[in-house]
Amino acid sequence: MNRRHLLAATGAAAVTPFIRPAGAQTLTRATLRLKWLTQAQFAGFYVAQQKGYYREAGIDLTINPGGPNLLTENLVASGADTFGLSGGTDSVFAARERNLPIICAGVMHQQTPFVFVTRADGPIRTLADFRGKTITTWFTGANFVLLGMLAQAGLSRGDFTMQPQQVSVQPFVDRQVDVVTATRYNEFFTLMQRVGRDNLRTFVPDDHGITFPRDTVIVSEQTARDRPQTVTAFLRATIRGWRDALRDGKAGVDAVMSVAPTLNRPHQEFMMEEAGKLMVAGGAAQNGLFWIDRPVVQAAHDFFLRHEVIKTRLDLAAAYNSSFLEAIPLADRMA
Amino acid sequence: MNAAAMAALRLMGGVILAGLAWEAAVVGFGIRPHLLPRLSDIFAAIALTPGAYWAGLQRTAAETLIGFAAGTAVGIANGLLFFRAPVLRDMLLPVFVVSQTIPVIAFGALVVMWFGNTLMAKAVIAFYLTFFPVTVNTLLGLNSVDPRQAALLRSFGATPTQILFRLQLPMALPQIFVALRLGASLSLVGAIVGEWFGDNTGIGVLLLQAMYNESVVALWAAILCAALLGTGFYALVAWAERRIVFWGAEQ
Repeated sequence: MNRRHLLAATGAAAVTPFIRPAGAQTLTRATLRLKWLTQAQFAGFYVAQQKGYYREAGIDLTINPGGPNLLTENLVASGADTFGLSGGTDSVFAARERNLPIICAGVMHQQTPFVFVTRADGPIRTLADFRGKTITTWFTGANFVLLGMLAQAGLSRGDFTMQPQQVSVQPFVDRQVDVVTATRYNEFFTLMQRVGRDNLRTFVPDDHGITFPRDTVIVSEQTARDRPQTVTAFLRATIRGWRDALRDGKAGVDAVMSVAPTLNRPHQEFMMEEAGKLMVAGGAAQNGLFWIDRPVVQAAHDFFLRHEVIKTRLDLAAAYNSSFLEAIPLADRMA
Repeated sequence: MNAAAMAALRLMGGVILAGLAWEAAVVGFGIRPHLLPRLSDIFAAIALTPGAYWAGLQRTAAETLIGFAAGTAVGIANGLLFFRAPVLRDMLLPVFVVSQTIPVIAFGALVVMWFGNTLMAKAVIAFYLTFFPVTVNTLLGLNSVDPRQAALLRSFGATPTQILFRLQLPMALPQIFVALRLGASLSLVGAIVGEWFGDNTGIGVLLLQAMYNESVVALWAAILCAALLGTGFYALVAWAERRIVFWGAEQ
């Protein structure tokens, strides 16, 4: 942490002048590393930052976008970033299994954010029809969700062709593959644009009893232990930002597009809407935003253990810590 | 001057012709826009948010230039050092070679951990790609100087420093410039790759956003910006080469 700050200070401070606002003495400097590039999926964080909610909570926050070559867990564990919005329950499991000293302090998406998509006019009507078909999916966890779903339909690995999905959904559009994986808020928009909503059939993991919460807020064990108030303050400001963004999606998209102006607005507005649905679903409806739904996390853990994605049983009570959220009154956490 | 103006005019004519051919081909052959969009659509996308592209261009140019300048300085210094002290060369050059085998993508992740999302982090990656070819070519250039010429100057009473600046370094310049032209492209690559590790501004950021949002027009817009920057920088180095190594640069 110190070394990185020293190095960054020698470089960055000389180049980019940093204007300290009044009362800066009381602000704690912190960074948030997102799981992906700047987009409406993270609108609440940008709203909270631009409306000064983090400052009011005593945090001078820098939001660092993620990208294809970054693993948020590593950056938070190494101290390069204070907070992280990481992949999801799956990546937290993987990190804990590797003994990375990170914990999850909140869960953003309460439902599985991705679905499996086929053509409505195609031969696939049920999961059993996946037999003999070509499927592309992400080999970062989604593949196991699909294997789990297909196992329920009596299909095993040899019964279909599963390939890693590349950046583009175009192979599906061009009918080169039969099934494509899409996040509800991102790839699905592209599919709707190129194929048409009515021509798509979706298979939703949650309908088959597999819920896979994603987009987890993580901090290092050290931060959680030494600065629990900062973690709570961060969550409080974040939830304030998200409540605003969920209430006024257009303003949420504005906040994002002021940072990344080349984004496609209709796509971002769709994303805002769909990501918002995932946030208020499930346990969040009664327990507020970012709720850690323990039975769901436990079920996801057991599912991964059963499929040998993780080899050892994890101490979930240590890995998922709701105490920072519970320090915020429930009324303030409701969407 | 007139000849230069004519040459510039011819170049411009060529670029416009290529642009027209692009536009005509897309319209004429009915190429699907997700394979190749119309050039006019790409310009329209840039015109819609010119600030983002201009800010990206400036940021990436700054990263490239800082990395390139540092890489050049360190590379030439290394070359001189290794030329003067072959022991150091035998000790360090293999280490440098090993350092260059680290894929820049892996190195980039480390740099982000060390420097965070700073302009410096990208400059360091640009530096990392630039300094090695400059080191090697400086050494190569210095070693290619005829030792009899150095002996001649020494017999006239020239000091080692005088020999270095009057004979060896000028003789090595053509070789050094070969590395600099290579470095001009490599430092831009380094800066762009550096921007793939989570940042808000830069041509690399625009490339990544366009790629992952499957926005082909924005992707081409970013590619055009990168091409503009790369060509401009390369032309600058080539121009400097013609001015400095006036007696015959390797073209």
